[in-house]
Amino acid sequence: MNAPFYKFDVFGDTAALGVAFAIGLGMGWFLERAGFGSATKLAKQFYFRDLAVLKVMFTAIVTAMVGLFLAAQLGWVDLSLMYLQPTVLWANVVGGLLLGVGFIIGGLCPGTSVVSVATGRIDAFLFVMGVLASQFLVGEAWPLFAGISEAGEMGQITLPGLLGVPYGLVVLAVVLMAAGAFVAAEWAEVRFGGVDRAAQPLLGAGWRARNAPRVLLASLAGLALLGMAGGDPYRGPRVVIDERELALLIQKEADHVTVDDLATWIVEGRMEVRLIDLRHPAAYAAGTIPGAENVPLADLPAAEIEPGERVVLFSQGQTHAAQAWMLLRARGMRNTYSLLGGMDEWNDRILFPELPAEPPPDQAAEVERRRALALRFGGSPRVEAAAGAPVAVPLPAAMSPPAGVAPPAAPIPTAAPVKKKKKREGC
Amino acid sequence: MQHVEISTTRANPLVDPVLQVWGWEIPVYLFLGGLVAGLLALSGFYLLRSRTASERGAWPQAPMLGVVLLTLGMGALFLDLDHPWYVWRVYLTFEPASPMSWGSWILILVYPALFAAALLHPPERVPFGAGLLAVIRRGSEWMWARPRLVQAIALSNLVGGIALGLYTGILLGTMVARPLWNSAILGPLFLFSGLSSAAALMHVLTLVRTHGLVDSTYADLLLHGLFQLLKPPGRDPSTAGEAMVRADAAFLSVEGALIALFVIGLAASTEVQQQALQLLLTGAYAPVFWCLILGTGILVPLVLQSLELAGRIRHTVVPALLVIAGAFLLRWVLVQAGQVSSWT
Repeated sequence: MNAPFYKFDVFGDTAALGVAFAIGLGMGWFLERAGFGSATKLAKQFYFRDLAVLKVMFTAIVTAMVGLFLAAQLGWVDLSLMYLQPTVLWANVVGGLLLGVGFIIGGLCPGTSVVSVATGRIDAFLFVMGVLASQFLVGEAWPLFAGISEAGEMGQITLPGLLGVPYGLVVLAVVLMAAGAFVAAEWAEVRFGGVDRAAQPLLGAGWRARNAPRVLLASLAGLALLGMAGGDPYRGPRVVIDERELALLIQKEADHVTVDDLATWIVEGRMEVRLIDLRHPAAYAAGTIPGAENVPLADLPAAEIEPGERVVLFSQGQTHAAQAWMLLRARGMRNTYSLLGGMDEWNDRILFPELPAEPPPDQAAEVERRRALALRFGGSPRVEAAAGAPVAVPLPAAMSPPAGVAPPAAPIPTAAPVKKKKKREGC
Repeated sequence: MQHVEISTTRANPLVDPVLQVWGWEIPVYLFLGGLVAGLLALSGFYLLRSRTASERGAWPQAPMLGVVLLTLGMGALFLDLDHPWYVWRVYLTFEPASPMSWGSWILILVYPALFAAALLHPPERVPFGAGLLAVIRRGSEWMWARPRLVQAIALSNLVGGIALGLYTGILLGTMVARPLWNSAILGPLFLFSGLSSAAALMHVLTLVRTHGLVDSTYADLLLHGLFQLLKPPGRDPSTAGEAMVRADAAFLSVEGALIALFVIGLAASTEVQQQALQLLLTGAYAPVFWCLILGTGILVPLVLQSLELAGRIRHTVVPALLVIAGAFLLRWVLVQAGQVSSWT
């Protein structure tokens, strides 16, 4: 099994609320046990007298960061599926400052205020009421703040992505930063808080107790170094695409080929493209375009495609092929095309074309060509009757007719003979 | 001209059993009824068991509080009636086969028991005049002079409380059209939920009294009078509070066991009951049931209270308030989910 569990649909919304409840209880419990339900203790850090909050929070951040980094590299967590809060720079700066001011005035942050209420403190109760009231007011007056909330929007960014440095390096840097902050905090507590380290050792007496923080930090840094060897923790390659180039290609219709072109290439033996059927294997087995190989969409990132190879992608309709085209282009496959209209268009125009029974003389040659093409690929043209309704003709088994045509009475044969038959007929 | 289109197809809540007939009134009444039942049973029990005067006076405000809360609950019930002004007709007959008839008579008979118990503990001061207080005192002294009478009052409180508590659950259990309520466990479950919320309420009041608010000269006249009314004569409030915490923990454990029995009973019943049960276990009501009724309503207060009794954490009103909220949500969820459950 793989994390994040919720996004992998391991459990539903109801269970997710239960999990959130359990995590919330646990977090509240440990915050309270660490003394963070007390506004006086929290306020002391702003006077550099007691920096336990800073130390605990930094430890939590560093532990979670190194843990996630390593878990992603071991394949336990898929970071691509984890939610990253988008960065909105100026909104974050203004919001951060406001939160800080509120923190200093009230002595509590939103999380610790709830912890404090749970221990029966009246000041915390007033604080939470204030938080709720201001949330209500901001909600009511939202148009006034909407501009600020979008100022400096940068999307979902990460430090390694922004700075263009390896992931492990940033992880190591943050661990070292935490180590620096710990040393500074210990110094400040002695300097401003009047803490006597000799009289009050952090974790009691003994070598192990004295050196526990150092051992912890050293091992975290070691793990970060180890993780650096693994490279980028994200699963799939992250790519940069040239938006303008792709948009122009799409507008110039240089991103696709038509079924007529494809049929002509096949008939004339000029198949110099690799034809990929993106549909489900069952749909592929029930009938496909001659010469196509089956690569379901989810397997496309793992498919081996040479950078210069000419590839035509098709699905039942158009959407999946177009999306797959985007994926391959993003990987730098320049000679990629989608089949316009997909399998539906292939059935409609090539296999079962609707042809007039008595074509005008100038179209006779074209109609005859299409009829031959349809028969060549194992289909059958639908001949327009005098009334205008197409007449259903017996269809070869395994070809799915377009809507409006009576289905074949013959049972659908198994996959293997169909494929053989198709290959023989097609190429 | 304004065009109004009214669709009447199955819009009548009496047609389709899935539609909600009961709104907020019934859960509020069931909660307050259970709370009053707990107050009655607890004060009756302490009155019966106590040997000394100070023990008897541990929670003198419980009966008076019960009168107020029961009246509020009856008010909610009254609002739920389709023909509220014909309510007196209920009291012209007694139908032994009708749970509603039993309930109506229990509700009305509980009042004299509550008033008599309240009279046994006259307040030291009343907000309106000393003349009234003198009359109350005289009545109280007259009653204390007759131990048999006091015993009878205590018994009537105890029995009335248990009857009322059981009745609030049985009321739901008799509605066979709602499979979720087809359980005899609902009676004892609501009784013990009422007992635990009553103990929690008394615990809150004990704590409020001991926080120095009682004799505060800053309090205005009304507040001062109110707190005087709540103040117990003698008796160390911390032990009283502790006794309530112990009682609460015991009631909560029984309540948890009864919820387990309720779940097992429905799970071992027919397909319809099992489906109804899924509303609570995995369906729309599951988050509230698991997190707020079992989690913060029973398990968290149990843990917090045992830590308080062990002296590990500070004694606060938080677990008591959680218990009361959990008891309310138990009624709310059972009434709402019960109305969603059906035989179809």
